[in-house]
Amino acid sequence: MVSRNITIKNASGLHLRPTGMLCSEAIKYQSSVRFVSRGTPTNAKSVLSVLGACIKCGDEIEFVCEGPDEEQALEAMIRLVESGLGE
Amino acid sequence: MYKGTNASSGIGIGTAVIVEETELVIEKKTVTDTEGEVGRFKGALDKTMKDTEALAADLATRVGEKEAEILQGHLMLLMDPMLIGEIENTIKGEKICSEFAIEMVCTMYANVFAGMDDELMQQRATDMRDIKTRMQRVLLGAETVDIASLPAGSILVAKDLTPSMTAGINPKNVVGIVTELGGKTSHSAILARALEIPAVVAVNDFMNQVKDGDRVILDGDAGCVFVNPDASVEKDYADKREAFLAEKKELEKYIGQPTITKDGVTVELVANIGKPKDVEKVLQYDGEGVGLFRTEFLFMDRNSMPTEDEQFEAYKKVAEALGGKPVIIRTLDIGGDKEIPYMGLEKDENPFLGYRAIRLCLDRKEDIYKPQLRALLRASAFGNIKIMIPLVTCIDEYREAKALIDELKLELDRKGIAYNKDIQVGIMVETAAASLIADIFAKEADFFSIGTNDLTQYTMSVDRGNDKISYLYSTFNPAVLRSIRRIITCAREEGIMVGMCGEAASDPMMIPLLLAFGLNEFSMSASAILYSRKLITSLSTQELQAVADKAMSFTTTKEVEDYMRGFVAGL
Repeated sequence: MVSRNITIKNASGLHLRPTGMLCSEAIKYQSSVRFVSRGTPTNAKSVLSVLGACIKCGDEIEFVCEGPDEEQALEAMIRLVESGLGE
Repeated sequence: MYKGTNASSGIGIGTAVIVEETELVIEKKTVTDTEGEVGRFKGALDKTMKDTEALAADLATRVGEKEAEILQGHLMLLMDPMLIGEIENTIKGEKICSEFAIEMVCTMYANVFAGMDDELMQQRATDMRDIKTRMQRVLLGAETVDIASLPAGSILVAKDLTPSMTAGINPKNVVGIVTELGGKTSHSAILARALEIPAVVAVNDFMNQVKDGDRVILDGDAGCVFVNPDASVEKDYADKREAFLAEKKELEKYIGQPTITKDGVTVELVANIGKPKDVEKVLQYDGEGVGLFRTEFLFMDRNSMPTEDEQFEAYKKVAEALGGKPVIIRTLDIGGDKEIPYMGLEKDENPFLGYRAIRLCLDRKEDIYKPQLRALLRASAFGNIKIMIPLVTCIDEYREAKALIDELKLELDRKGIAYNKDIQVGIMVETAAASLIADIFAKEADFFSIGTNDLTQYTMSVDRGNDKISYLYSTFNPAVLRSIRRIITCAREEGIMVGMCGEAASDPMMIPLLLAFGLNEFSMSASAILYSRKLITSLSTQELQAVADKAMSFTTTKEVEDYMRGFVAGL
């Protein structure tokens, strides 16, 4: 299992469009891809789960990946969030 | 006659076709073969996704990416493992039919979204209900209305247009749209305008006033609808439409013709655009280029600053579409009157005299101006782009912007990125100050474009949106006319191009004066290009000198307007 923290910098937080990008990247990996915010775990492969987490701009989340390609998955998620999720 | 909101211009005369989606009845049925039922659900899900994908692709090509986005969002939700998993579990656990399981799960999510304290999230509730109904329709085999096969001459009447309905609309068959709901910016209105179908929306209780096969006339400019009108209304509108079509035909003769006066002076007839898609209209009406490309659209209705690459793509797209024709792109003209949360602009007491346009851009070089200028420079390698700076009042602003552009050019040189080294940088002349020192600007700027809307407002110190004083707002006011003539003369003395991109540039009463003053370029909405060309080719700048002298000799707005009205009527 690997994990890392990152801060969301999208002005409106994780609304539908950035969430869609996040999830379509997450499902490319065999490993489970989750993130924890305010103590609650969220399945990063589910749009509904991510939207429901109501992540705002400035929130810090911790990605947790577990499985055969966990390193690549974590790396990809961090890079994607850093790039601003297409915004 | 029924009143509504004018949503898309033009006159539609045809036969009412009422489009109504039947209410679905969702019953709670128990199933024993839950595995089989899950299979049934999966099949319906699959079909719904395929249908939605097809709709999205169709909408994207026929109307635009933006309109298709809402359906892309639906697809993401339909693919969601959590949603699918929960519906499956509900079918298995409660031993109930797919329709009811979908009803339970989707409604639950819709309620969660609706209850969130965030407008964007609340919109997801609507999406959730949409996909719910779509899956249920597939399961129940409910007929969806096939709009693509409506007979020619149909007037589409509906409560509201759903995305699935709009995708099927063919302008060859549908000659008008009337809806009970919606507004000028609703989905149906935007779509109607994009397809150039006359439309009236928000006609209260209309579905109860009309039945299939009724004769309907709608006026998309006045926002009124007639059902089974009497002979006089019928004739009135038939004549109106006839005249409209005849005029259109007459003007089409001017496509491909040069814009040259009777005495051999060639001027440029170009278009104002607000987004890359508008280029289609420019080409359709034979525009000779773009005289004003407003870049605000890139910054509006979004949650973060557009990236340099995103801007580059938009500018490049327009430049390429116009081939080698000139494209004047105005840098960001925004201030405290616009709500752009991510820019963190404070409310300005006096937004039009405040922190806006070039003033704001020069203050925020790093996050706003440099990315935009770099994107413009990079795009200049793909066409004839010129940069225009708005709201300049003193030469320092022009110099500072120019120095910034030079600095960015060096940066691109170092990186080996291509751009047009001779790119022209001009100014929008729209303040009284810029007009008074037009001679100073003309020595340094590469071109002028007169923005008459703001020039008139600033010169007359009048907010034209204020009904009590809007009588003061006239481009024919002697003060404004002198200002315009002065700007043109200063530009001509230094030999730089001078254009106009305000509404006055397409005003038939103003065009003769502008020709006499020596304006080189007229920029207007694309649809005004052909009639302006018709007018210009019928005039002679030499003969117009006397007209201009006479017009400039008057002391009041009314005298000038009366004189020019008389002159145009006599043509």
